[in-house]
Amino acid sequence: MRKRSIYLLASQLWKDAFRSKIMVIALGLMVFLLLFSAYSGWENYHDQNHTRDVIQDEVQQSWENNPDKHPHRMAHYGSFAFRLKHVLSVFDVGMENFVGNAVFLEAHKQNTVNFSEASMSTGLLRFGEVSLAMLLKVIVPLLIFYLGFASIARERENGTLKLLIGQGISRKEIVFGKVLGLWGLSLIFLFSVFLVVLFFVLIESYDTLYKDSLFRFVILFISYMLFFAILSAITILVSASSKTAKGALVKLLGIWLLFVIILPKSLQAIGYYLYPTPSKIEMETAVEHDLIQQGDSHNPDDPHFKALKDSVLLANNVKSVEDLPFNYGGFVMAKGEALSTAIYLEHQERLYQVYNKQNNIERNSAFLNPYTAIKNVSMAFSGTNFQSFLHFKDKAEAYRYKLAQQMNQLQMDFIPNKGKAGPNTISSKYWKEFPPFEYRFLSISSIFRNELRSILALLLWGVLAIFGLLKVSTNLKAI
Amino acid sequence: MYSLLFKSFFRTKIFLVSLVLLVTVGIISILIGKQYLVKQEKAIVAAQEFQEESIKRNVEYHNDDLGLLLYYLRFTLIKKPSNISAISIGQSDVNPLLQAVTIRGLEGQKYDTDFENPSLLMSGNLDLGFVIIYLFPLVLIAMTFNLYSEEKELGTWRILAAQTSGKAGFLFKKLLVRIGFVFIILLFLMFMASMLLQIPMNQNFWAIFLQGILYVLFWSALCLWIVSLLKNSSFNALALISIWVVLTILLPAMVNNYVLNRYQVPEALDAMVEQRDGYHEKWDLEKDATMTGFYEAYPQYKKYTVPEDKFSWIWYYGMQHMGDLAAKNMSAEMIEKIMLRTTVSEKVALFVPTMHAQLSFNNLTGTDMVSHLNFLKALTEYHENLRLHFYPKIFENNPADVIDWKTHNTKIYSSKRDFSWMRLMLPTLLIVLIIAIFGVLNLRKL
Repeated sequence: MRKRSIYLLASQLWKDAFRSKIMVIALGLMVFLLLFSAYSGWENYHDQNHTRDVIQDEVQQSWENNPDKHPHRMAHYGSFAFRLKHVLSVFDVGMENFVGNAVFLEAHKQNTVNFSEASMSTGLLRFGEVSLAMLLKVIVPLLIFYLGFASIARERENGTLKLLIGQGISRKEIVFGKVLGLWGLSLIFLFSVFLVVLFFVLIESYDTLYKDSLFRFVILFISYMLFFAILSAITILVSASSKTAKGALVKLLGIWLLFVIILPKSLQAIGYYLYPTPSKIEMETAVEHDLIQQGDSHNPDDPHFKALKDSVLLANNVKSVEDLPFNYGGFVMAKGEALSTAIYLEHQERLYQVYNKQNNIERNSAFLNPYTAIKNVSMAFSGTNFQSFLHFKDKAEAYRYKLAQQMNQLQMDFIPNKGKAGPNTISSKYWKEFPPFEYRFLSISSIFRNELRSILALLLWGVLAIFGLLKVSTNLKAI
Repeated sequence: MYSLLFKSFFRTKIFLVSLVLLVTVGIISILIGKQYLVKQEKAIVAAQEFQEESIKRNVEYHNDDLGLLLYYLRFTLIKKPSNISAISIGQSDVNPLLQAVTIRGLEGQKYDTDFENPSLLMSGNLDLGFVIIYLFPLVLIAMTFNLYSEEKELGTWRILAAQTSGKAGFLFKKLLVRIGFVFIILLFLMFMASMLLQIPMNQNFWAIFLQGILYVLFWSALCLWIVSLLKNSSFNALALISIWVVLTILLPAMVNNYVLNRYQVPEALDAMVEQRDGYHEKWDLEKDATMTGFYEAYPQYKKYTVPEDKFSWIWYYGMQHMGDLAAKNMSAEMIEKIMLRTTVSEKVALFVPTMHAQLSFNNLTGTDMVSHLNFLKALTEYHENLRLHFYPKIFENNPADVIDWKTHNTKIYSSKRDFSWMRLMLPTLLIVLIIAIFGVLNLRKL
């Protein structure tokens, strides 16, 4: 292959594209959509995070300003965790609006993460959302198909393909030149979107986050470059192997519908159909059932806690719980919290495993559908996929547990047993000593681990595309 | 003439592909609706069992302390599931079907969500509504985009033109055959849904059906108009798919983005914190700080006095109620904002048939936001009735067995909402007429 002729063919495709009406309309539309989604994404990110930051601070203030009191009161006073958005959520909104944003953290109870945007929205949410990533994932592929469907098929229809070959340009050069040209066109959209994203990343990332966000940005950028290359290759492949340009267009539109709309949605629905999940009330029943079996700290006659009491008395060599060197109520609650949390988390884990099974059908289809691959990579590195949400939820639950147990420990250490002399409250300085809730995003290495499959699928598609192009260029029919 | 048109249509590849696609996906969507109903049924049975079981157990543990017993007990209000909701699951996967609440502060329990896989929520349910709104237009487009251009490109148009008197009439008939085919599939799927999901053929069912017909007509008119421009096949396919993308993806999503950003709801988070603080700060204040407000809300309990030096249940539940009162305004503002989101979306939808169809389906099947807000309103009333029922018994320090626990089963809430036929049908009908007139005018020049 000669670089010069490839370059020539690529630039010819550019010239043709800019002369066509489609490109003019596409560019106009894209500029409008880009501005709209950048603005609305940024506004959403900025306002929501601002609100949540302010409230998180207020919550911490009011926690610290509590007067002297019994530590268990504070365990019930509890705290809140508000989910912060990653700056790249401006780029890919992902599941952002379908997962909860605020959770009340208190002793004895795992509350649900509430107030997802979806729970406060109208039915329009079902149509999806416009974001910069959505433009790249959904709209630009369609534009690539529009701009490239005729590339080879029409040359063949017009007879110019024959002329090209007659002039000594190899079939390989024609195919790769067209792909390069089309890919180059798609990169106009890619660069303009990522330039906007880079701007947001730079103005929003301070100190430690800086490197992390930039690294995510680079990975996203490379992934989308690859995705567009794959799409350009598919377009040229279809165009080269279709008799007429019209046939190529119809096939490409079918592929787009299948990849972007029909496959992802049906596979997700099939996952849901095959692996039913319990409702919350069913899971709560199961949790309570296990708790009663293993030890119910609310039941005065519970065998587990009776045995615990006996062993504690024995170990400390005293006759009654009042004589223990620590507060017995605090001790029982600490044990009860540990037990109930373990049981709850076990059930929750099982539920998540079912979710995973439901999702895996669609996620595995990344090997059949490059859109699914890029979708998952894009959400993961933008911090807006399910794993990112779970990470927040886990951190919030860990904080809740630490808070409850810290209060139990304070009760054990400082509150006298029933009937013994001593204060029933402890100093408020202990509240200030308890650190506030701080959320850190999922580390890049764990995102890589989570999305290995999607990345692999994308790379495989890249290899497949090259093979396909090589094959089609050897068999390319001139007429 | 028609029989020939039918025959030639039945021989096309697109006919077979469309038939298989729509019927299979349609049936799958109905089965998914069925599963959604089964899941609801199971949840309702589980809720009933849970409540019975927990009342039985806790009454045993805490028979002598009614105040403590009612601290634990949860009572369930269930939104009556209706089978028609399986056609358009709408928002009912995001918003819970039932809520089990204690008689403590309601604000902290009211907005608890059910568990659902967020990936599924994001991808949305593949219900019959989706099939009608997304797939039916695609099939129509696929069958009609080359209605005229194909004949032209194959060279058959000139023969036809020579043989038929009305060229436009011929195209109309060809189009009619295709629309008729889509109508028959729609009819078939609605009938199947009614059978498999046991949906009564009531007013709402027919309203959905007619809205569906109108929606298909809208796309038929659009296809007719594009065909009437007499461009080549590639242009038609490109134009129609672009219109489809704009109407089913871009425009609704943009309106949604706009509405979410324009009417943000920070009040939700504020209300959550206010209710906790409104309750908890009372522990550190004089008892009067609670009781003045509580007696003001419920003067009938003034006769129960509060001991200054020790804990009492009236004070405790008073504090809980103070939490709700503290969050009341914020909470009301939040609901107002959500209603604003709804009304704005609905207004915009009047001009966009895709959005109008989706919102109408959700409205008619009771799976929209308004329906959930009504449920929350009912939950608030239910909670108050429970409290007023239990308060005097707790305040009089009655033992648990004064209450007939058997009567405290889960409660079903059913709502009745009217809809306006005008608002449902007129907007889309007008749009269909306008587009169809343009199409027909173009074709008359043929």
